[in-house]
Amino acid sequence: MLWHKAWLETRGRFLAGLALSLIVGFGVIYDFRATERLLPIVRNMDPSALDTSGPLGAAIKEGLAAQQSFRGFVWWQWYRQNLTYLVVIFGALLGAGGLLAKSESATLFTLSLPVSRSRLIGTRAFVGLAELLVLAIVPSLWVALLSPSIGQSYSVVDVLAHGLCMFVVGSVFFSLAALLSNEYADVWRPVLIACVIAAAIGMLEYVPEIGRFGIFHVMNGERYYRSAALPWIGLLLNGGIAVALLRTAAVNLARRDF
Amino acid sequence: MSEPLAIETVDLRKRFEGIEALRGLNLGVPRGSIFGFLGRNGAGKTTTIKLLLGMARPTAGQARVFGLSADDATASVSIRARTGFVDENKALYDYMTVDEIIRFTARFYPGWRRDLEKRYLQSFGLPLHQKTTTLSLGVRSKLSLLLALCRGAELLVLDEPTSGLDPAASEEVLQTIVTHVSTENLTVFFSSHHLAHVDQIADHIAIIDAGRTLVAGALDDLRGQYRRVQLVFNAEAPDIAFRTPGVVRVRRQGRVLTALSNNGGDALIEEAMRFGPVSAELLPVTLKEIFLESVAVED
Repeated sequence: MLWHKAWLETRGRFLAGLALSLIVGFGVIYDFRATERLLPIVRNMDPSALDTSGPLGAAIKEGLAAQQSFRGFVWWQWYRQNLTYLVVIFGALLGAGGLLAKSESATLFTLSLPVSRSRLIGTRAFVGLAELLVLAIVPSLWVALLSPSIGQSYSVVDVLAHGLCMFVVGSVFFSLAALLSNEYADVWRPVLIACVIAAAIGMLEYVPEIGRFGIFHVMNGERYYRSAALPWIGLLLNGGIAVALLRTAAVNLARRDF
Repeated sequence: MSEPLAIETVDLRKRFEGIEALRGLNLGVPRGSIFGFLGRNGAGKTTTIKLLLGMARPTAGQARVFGLSADDATASVSIRARTGFVDENKALYDYMTVDEIIRFTARFYPGWRRDLEKRYLQSFGLPLHQKTTTLSLGVRSKLSLLLALCRGAELLVLDEPTSGLDPAASEEVLQTIVTHVSTENLTVFFSSHHLAHVDQIADHIAIIDAGRTLVAGALDDLRGQYRRVQLVFNAEAPDIAFRTPGVVRVRRQGRVLTALSNNGGDALIEEAMRFGPVSAELLPVTLKEIFLESVAVED
């Protein structure tokens, strides 16, 4: 029924995201070997040679510190960078287009079916978010699965905890793109706008005073990495934002004339 | 007791971005009728259909289908559960095959007619495993019609069902509708600007222009009401201001004067005889003439 339709509409984007994430995850794992070889050189460096007073130097120092262990390496390279980018981009892609985007040629056929608009958008959101959840967890499970091949191990509990953070914040960009799709006729503008907003937030988070409260710190699960405690307040806030955006999209859709 | 109506609109108004698409449309579609909804491009036909099916909301006035308010979101779902619809563009999901879209649609309708599905699949020769995007407009029209007819609906709403079709495909679609209606108890509401198609299958019509109803009623009644009187004079036809009620239009061309009445022709011819024409004829009027005269009067 509707969920099948939503799956058919989004499966291309979802499978592309999944495939790309798995490839990147594979790359990250085998990149650790190269990093391992570099670590002794870094450890023997003269500490005074590195100026860590600025934000860039501080970030390099933080990165070097984190990547001393495999868990730290995975957090720094995978959760803090690659998977964050992938979840933001594919979250926006999965949310964009929407069931009733102006671009969908068969909109009138859909609207002639005996289902409410809230059910239409609800089903579409449910399927899209389920795909996002898979994107937030499965590639990390793949990383955990590949870890023994390089003599390392990675905890499935960590995968699930980081996956939750990725999914909740990713759903904000999903919902933002869904909301923007009410206004734009194509898929690409909502995705582009959502990504530009994400990039702007990301840059703002380089300011230490702002960064501590930034959504990307919630997304990459830094608190969980450092203290094994989930950032519940951040998760609740981001979850609330995602729900509010989706609700606004649904209300706009219910009011719209076709 | 008044005839129960499948569709009723009362002073229905719709404004889109400053444009008044409907300006007080009044319609009554009797149950069991084949109702031709006529109008020029931009007259408000598609807007009316969208309002009836809850795809858009009226600015003012009422639209009721099966006695339910089309403006109410819950009632609108019930209306659509009892209605088959074919849109003007026959746009379907391009990522589904013919078989997939039939299975998809069937799941929404508990009364889906498998018997009709088989019959129309065979008679239309639809390629089950072909994606809808690869179908020609003619084949897509037939598929859209199948999807509407098999819903087990009480009402068929067809927006320009023959639009873009060649004469043979149009004829096939029209014949399918007529045959279907003759065996099933349902109401058909179809918009068109192809007068011949409406004339061929409709028993009731409404002509709208600029968002208002100009003419409405049973086609046979309208044919009985509308009469053309043709008078031929010896010299230049006189400029006559007829007093008989119902004179829609008078035209003079040389020695010939023609007058169109929507109130029969007998009284008109009686009045015309007083001006001494050489000959006077009472002629039947086609739907095309009714349409053109109604729309021209509005202009």
